[in-house]
Amino acid sequence: MNILRGTIVDIESSQAVSLVCIDVDGDQFTALILEGRKGPVNYPQGVRVDLIFKETEVAIAKGISGLISVRNRFPGRIQQIESGQVLTKIRLDYRAKAVSAIISTPTAIGMNLKQDDKIEWLVKASDISLMRVG
Amino acid sequence: MLEFHLKKNLVVATGAVQLSVDLVVAQNEFVTLFGESGAGKTILLRMIAGLTQPDEGMISVGDEVWFDSRKKINLPTQRRSIGFVFQDYSLFPHMTVVENLRFASCPLSCRAGQRAKDADAARIRDLLKTAGLLGLQDRRPHQLSGGQNQRVAILRAVLRQPKLLLLDEPFSALDMDMRLQFQEEVFQIHKKFGITTIFVSHHIAEVFRLSDRVAIIEGGRIARSGPPSQVFGERRLSGKFTFTGEVVEIVPDGVVNILTILVGNNLVRTVATDDEARDIRPGEKVVVSSKAFNPVVFKI
Repeated sequence: MNILRGTIVDIESSQAVSLVCIDVDGDQFTALILEGRKGPVNYPQGVRVDLIFKETEVAIAKGISGLISVRNRFPGRIQQIESGQVLTKIRLDYRAKAVSAIISTPTAIGMNLKQDDKIEWLVKASDISLMRVG
Repeated sequence: MLEFHLKKNLVVATGAVQLSVDLVVAQNEFVTLFGESGAGKTILLRMIAGLTQPDEGMISVGDEVWFDSRKKINLPTQRRSIGFVFQDYSLFPHMTVVENLRFASCPLSCRAGQRAKDADAARIRDLLKTAGLLGLQDRRPHQLSGGQNQRVAILRAVLRQPKLLLLDEPFSALDMDMRLQFQEEVFQIHKKFGITTIFVSHHIAEVFRLSDRVAIIEGGRIARSGPPSQVFGERRLSGKFTFTGEVVEIVPDGVVNILTILVGNNLVRTVATDDEARDIRPGEKVVVSSKAFNPVVFKI
């Protein structure tokens, strides 16, 4: 799993769902959690959290333009590509932190991904879990 | 039953903290104290063992009072029925395995009769056999591996059938395979002898595996406590689709591994990378968590 540590900076809650903004070394991430203003307040502002998301939930993009509904979109550089018959694991350097993606091998070949390529990686807010630190 | 209410002023890296912990532990229960280093877990164990004096409070085990600051009761360590295993096992280096055990069971000052000595010898033999250490009984600690040393240390701790077993990160010096094997042994010993056990750890997997209950210590107090699945599974993680299960099978497939996990009566399968699967063995308990936004629901 991918783990990034950050601090909660903002929360927008409805009855049962909250959009939580987390600052990770200057980048703003958004996580959607099933906890509204009525639920137990486990994730108040200022709290340190780990953002957890699976490698299979990370998408890789090259030279995309236009609008996209995925809120979490950050730069990265490919460090290593490990290809299986069906799946390929891509290790990324994201501002000196490690993030990995697992995508299909035909897609990796089709996009002509290579070591040292500068790419963007994306993860949907609803795919990020939060875990309180400590 | 162990009950304690203890207060102690500590000076830690971040400043002064008052440790103030109240806990009741049922007989035969396995309770873990979990928290960051410097949270005061080891000091708590030392206070229970009588190695560090609390500022105030009480400790009782069954109907015996070990410590009571008001009544000025403070039983010395040797009169408290405890077995203690530390991170560094500290066997006597000049004694063989069997001599170390014999000494624990009957120190130099002990004037037990021949019959008691024979009973001790039989018991030591029994324990060594159970732990698969019979062949090593005449070796000295430096001739044993870390894992073997630690096994002797735990045998020594349970030899006198203490009411309370105190374990302070006993696995941390061991490699992963040894760690899993030794955890299993500790668990079996705890079950077999029915010894109330207090365990200090900051390794979530082993806490899950061993504990009936876990108490998280933060800022000198018990921040929360309960079964590990509740404390770690539901409260720490925002995933609402969270279960505990037992790993049945791990099958590598290309860059991933397919894990089959028994959750209740259902087998579920999930994908894990090598990094995630590295510390997991079949038979171990795990938390399976997904975002609540992912599952689809069908009427049946």
